[in-house]
Amino acid sequence: MKNKSLHYLFSVLIALSMILAACAPQQQATEAPTEAPAAATEEPAATAVPTEEPAAPQTERRGGWLDEIVVSVVDGDSAVSQIQAGAIDFYSFGLASDKFPVIKDAGISTTQSLGAYYGMSFNPAVFTDTAVLNPFSNRKIREATNWLIDRNYINQEIYAGGSLPRLLPVTTQLVEYTNLIETARALESKYAYNFERAKEVIDAEMPAMGAELGADGKWQYNGAPVTLSFLIRSDGDGTRKPMGDYFANQLESVGFTVDRQYKTASEVFPIWLGTTASDGLWHMYTAGYIPAGFGSLRDESGNIQQSYLNTSIQASEPFISNVADTEFQQLGDDLAQGNYSSKEERDAMMARALELSLEDSLFVWIVDQQTYSPHSNNVQVTWDLATGPESTNVGPYNLRFTDQEGGTLKVGTNDLFTQPWNTVGGSNWAWDAGVMRATTMGTSNAGGGGGLMADPYTGLAWPQRVVSAELVYKEGLSINKNLDWLTVSTAPQIDVPEDAWVDWNAAEQRWITAGEKFPDGLTANVKSVVVYPDDLFETVKWHDGSPISMGDFVMSLIQGFDPGKPESPIYDESLALSIDAGLVSFKGYRITSTDPLTIESYTDAYVSDAELNVAPLWPQSPFGLSGENAWTVLAISNLAEEAGELAYTQDKADNAEIENTSWVGGPSLEVLAKYLDQAAAESFIPFEATLGQYVTKEEADLRYANLKQWFEDHGHFWVGTGPYFLDQVFVTEKSLVLKNFSDFPDLADRWSVFSEPKLATTVLDGPGQVTAGSEAVFDITVNFKDTAYLLVDIARVKYILYDATGTVVSVGDATAVSDGQYQVTLSAEETSKLPTGSARLEVAVVPIAVAVPSFTSIDFVAVQ
Amino acid sequence: MSVPTSPAVGSLPVKKATRDSTLLRVSKYIAVRILTLFATVVIGVYLTIMIANMGGFVDTIMKGQIRDRVTQGIIASPSAQTMEPEVRQKLIQDTIAKEEERMGLNVPIAVRNARYLYNALTLDLGRAINMTSDSGSKQVRLILLERLPATLLLMGISQLFLFFSSIFLALNLSRRYGNFWDKLVITLSPTSAVPPWFYGIFLILIFAALLKVLPFGGMVSAPPPDNPLDYSLSLLQHLTLPALSLILSSFFLSIYNYRTFFLIYSSEDYVEMAKAKGLASRDVERRYILRPTLPNIITNFALLIITLWSGATITETVFLWPGLGRTIFQAIGLYDLPIIVGSTIIYAYMLAMTVFLLDFIYSLVDPRVKVGS
Repeated sequence: MKNKSLHYLFSVLIALSMILAACAPQQQATEAPTEAPAAATEEPAATAVPTEEPAAPQTERRGGWLDEIVVSVVDGDSAVSQIQAGAIDFYSFGLASDKFPVIKDAGISTTQSLGAYYGMSFNPAVFTDTAVLNPFSNRKIREATNWLIDRNYINQEIYAGGSLPRLLPVTTQLVEYTNLIETARALESKYAYNFERAKEVIDAEMPAMGAELGADGKWQYNGAPVTLSFLIRSDGDGTRKPMGDYFANQLESVGFTVDRQYKTASEVFPIWLGTTASDGLWHMYTAGYIPAGFGSLRDESGNIQQSYLNTSIQASEPFISNVADTEFQQLGDDLAQGNYSSKEERDAMMARALELSLEDSLFVWIVDQQTYSPHSNNVQVTWDLATGPESTNVGPYNLRFTDQEGGTLKVGTNDLFTQPWNTVGGSNWAWDAGVMRATTMGTSNAGGGGGLMADPYTGLAWPQRVVSAELVYKEGLSINKNLDWLTVSTAPQIDVPEDAWVDWNAAEQRWITAGEKFPDGLTANVKSVVVYPDDLFETVKWHDGSPISMGDFVMSLIQGFDPGKPESPIYDESLALSIDAGLVSFKGYRITSTDPLTIESYTDAYVSDAELNVAPLWPQSPFGLSGENAWTVLAISNLAEEAGELAYTQDKADNAEIENTSWVGGPSLEVLAKYLDQAAAESFIPFEATLGQYVTKEEADLRYANLKQWFEDHGHFWVGTGPYFLDQVFVTEKSLVLKNFSDFPDLADRWSVFSEPKLATTVLDGPGQVTAGSEAVFDITVNFKDTAYLLVDIARVKYILYDATGTVVSVGDATAVSDGQYQVTLSAEETSKLPTGSARLEVAVVPIAVAVPSFTSIDFVAVQ
Repeated sequence: MSVPTSPAVGSLPVKKATRDSTLLRVSKYIAVRILTLFATVVIGVYLTIMIANMGGFVDTIMKGQIRDRVTQGIIASPSAQTMEPEVRQKLIQDTIAKEEERMGLNVPIAVRNARYLYNALTLDLGRAINMTSDSGSKQVRLILLERLPATLLLMGISQLFLFFSSIFLALNLSRRYGNFWDKLVITLSPTSAVPPWFYGIFLILIFAALLKVLPFGGMVSAPPPDNPLDYSLSLLQHLTLPALSLILSSFFLSIYNYRTFFLIYSSEDYVEMAKAKGLASRDVERRYILRPTLPNIITNFALLIITLWSGATITETVFLWPGLGRTIFQAIGLYDLPIIVGSTIIYAYMLAMTVFLLDFIYSLVDPRVKVGS
């Protein structure tokens, strides 16, 4: 009897524990992060090369700050616990913002960067079946949905307050948004959540389209309810489902009947992209996009055409079915094609386009999701504000323990070796690329300019292995210089010299010159001249000990052309597509000196920031991947490809049914080792007709011997020039070890100026009551970690005055008083526009060194 | 030629005839059995192919995915930022066409299905569409073989431990029907309703996050130790929690099942008779309980062995265990048909062989069973 009772008690306890576990309270929403936590160091002045102001203590250490970095695959769900338990120090892959409260509660540090854009994609077509009404074929109804969505509510409830509400087709609080701050804020005010206004518009427009409101409060058309087919994504990070449900509820509240179709990506794409919009298989879709690199986010003018117009480069439904307003169409196309001659003209066009984009609302933006990479409090992490730590070129340079030099840092990430590693057609997954970056010299985000270093906080570029640069662009183009490390000028016409290399003759293995290919002459939009250091070839070494040489530069350039030529033994049809596409705007390279190395480049393609148009050559992937090209590694890989044993690209490997070249593991290594022996025995110089002018047999012998030794020591062929070298690779265990490269030419504090983003904190103080028609003064304090923000580091401080209805009354610039101090003086004329009641003054501080502005506001009472 | 049938001629021809008849019966049985099993395998694999590509709808899905992936990839690439819109557009369209061709979407679905079936049956596992092995190979054979040791290690240890410990304990409990331990097992048997990964999460929380004595996941520490002994210890350390979660989730129910099974046989008349004759309980167990249950136990064991191949999908995912279960789960998500078919055909062949062999094993362990009778 006693035993029986014990059993009952035990069973009840088990059942209770399960019930209690299931009933545990959900994580409460927390306030939005206002700034990313970080450790302290100085910030580069915008007009100076950052190395001039090293903030960290001097060091004798070369390469990276750490002795060793161990990277392994860690489940994101346990990342925070693993950091707390000391199993890892840093989780480099971005966690969704619903993890932000967990990170905060754990008391550990985190990065914060842009994750994905989410919003509603509408079907704009009038349906073929005339018995079915598509309310979203009416622009005014699409526009009204902006008032129907409470973006702050969504951010708080679904994203735990960790993301940023988004209204506009430009990234919230990034470069373009900051640039158009007054327009952006005014539109955000105009389109703030207003259920009644949305209902008013819908109530006015629906009857005009032939619908009528039934007695049950539901819209009817041809005697049937107006039913909206809503494609709601149920997969991914799981946030689009509650977002879709919220929007469906709101639509039901204004009289629509909503058919909620929960689907995964693979189920949605055939309907959303694969059916003709007028077939009417869907009305709305919870769409999402991943941001491109920071460099491209500096200029988002192309997004108007891409997201709204039938000329969108996405060239698919629903874009091609949208009939946009004529002015909007023209503006979007002109902005995408760069049809403007000054920044002022462009900004004015963008401001108008933003207004019209909301009137069109083919896509209604909802949130800029932020992602978080947590790390221990004693770890310093530098991250790209737009794309996160794994896409930060300067990241590996600055990764360190705050309390020591050296040590072994354990990094967890989402995956490793997802695809084979090679720099021609290999893995480009963020986690793989994150490791590869640690082994490279540095790269600019836009255009992939090697020898430059991408600024993680502005998206601009700084010189890494470049002494000077000169940019010349054709008069009439809108290109702006931001930093002082390059000289910029214009010319009425830029002629490409006859001896510039414009193409590659694979059959004869030689360059085709401009004079040969374009006997009538060739011009370009942009010319850049880059001069490298005098001691480049002595100071920069490959990880296998070989000094970098001219052969590396020229081989890397050839590799960018040769696989695209049908006459080449390593011809690859899939690479030919992008090579041919690149040739359309490419106008030539010219090496004018090898001591010091000086290279001219010519192109028709350009972006609006001068720094991102500088195109230095560097022995790195010519296909935008993250890795460097020692000519020896390319040579043996090419031999294996010629022999039909390996292929750089997945496409070619699949067609030929051979292995995809991997420089770090698998069956490739044996094949490559065989061809290394062969090449070493023959003192093989690839593309000898051209490369033979730069590489001697002696150099070839030395380089192959060094590579062979490297392979024997490390068991792979991944060789770079960066601050860390790849010491050990464990492809099946999915882990690797990076070690400090002590022969790196720079000290570990080379990029310490980028240790953390210098985000401003702003305090606004002023009178609680303002009399209309009289002057009012407000004081602004701008700090960075309790230290006054220098005036020279602030681009501008804008103020925006709102009345009680949230309408913008006036916009202006604050006056600088002293470092960290600004003042807003509202004139009598401005205050006279304020009706009696509450009013709000908001200021936006736009620093030079970070693309993220800081906002603050103060409410006061306006009296007559 | 006639065969002498006179009984006077003796029993030799009769024996020969009986032997011939047995040989014929067994041969016929083997032939029919092999054909039947092969037909079953063919139908099973073809159904797998049809289900995996949703009768062709996967083509539509994959085309949509290709379009989205290629477009977004090119739009986001730094080099495309500076391309002329027309050039970029052409690049997108050409790349989509190329990718569709690479994935074989330009070949009619019926032809592809037939090709998949033929290749599968001839064990030509081919190349994966999207996935690669950890070492970078796209050969399905290598992808599966690479993950096999990890799966066999985890599943083998946990399932074999579970199997033998269950039988041992169940046999003991069946002898002590109604005692405390018997009741405890009955009470705890509903805990098997909880899946192993659920136990896994709790075990991780307790032993990795809280006590910090065992790792959160993975198969070996990073970087893996060079020394074989340290490597083995690290492996054991990483194996403990996933194996424990697999064992815990089935332990009590498995004992309960066998215990009930043994109890049924324990109450047979011949067992009672043996007990009445005063045979030692160990002899009773071995000769009168275990022996008649052998066919069932062997069947369970044989099926258990081939089940090791399938891995434990979610548990492997929770513990980041690089096993086959995760690979197949990923393949299903990516519609990587060659991997799905490759793993299915191996399982199907193993199952067919097991079923085939079991018929013979039954006749060896149980004299009442005759092959083909």
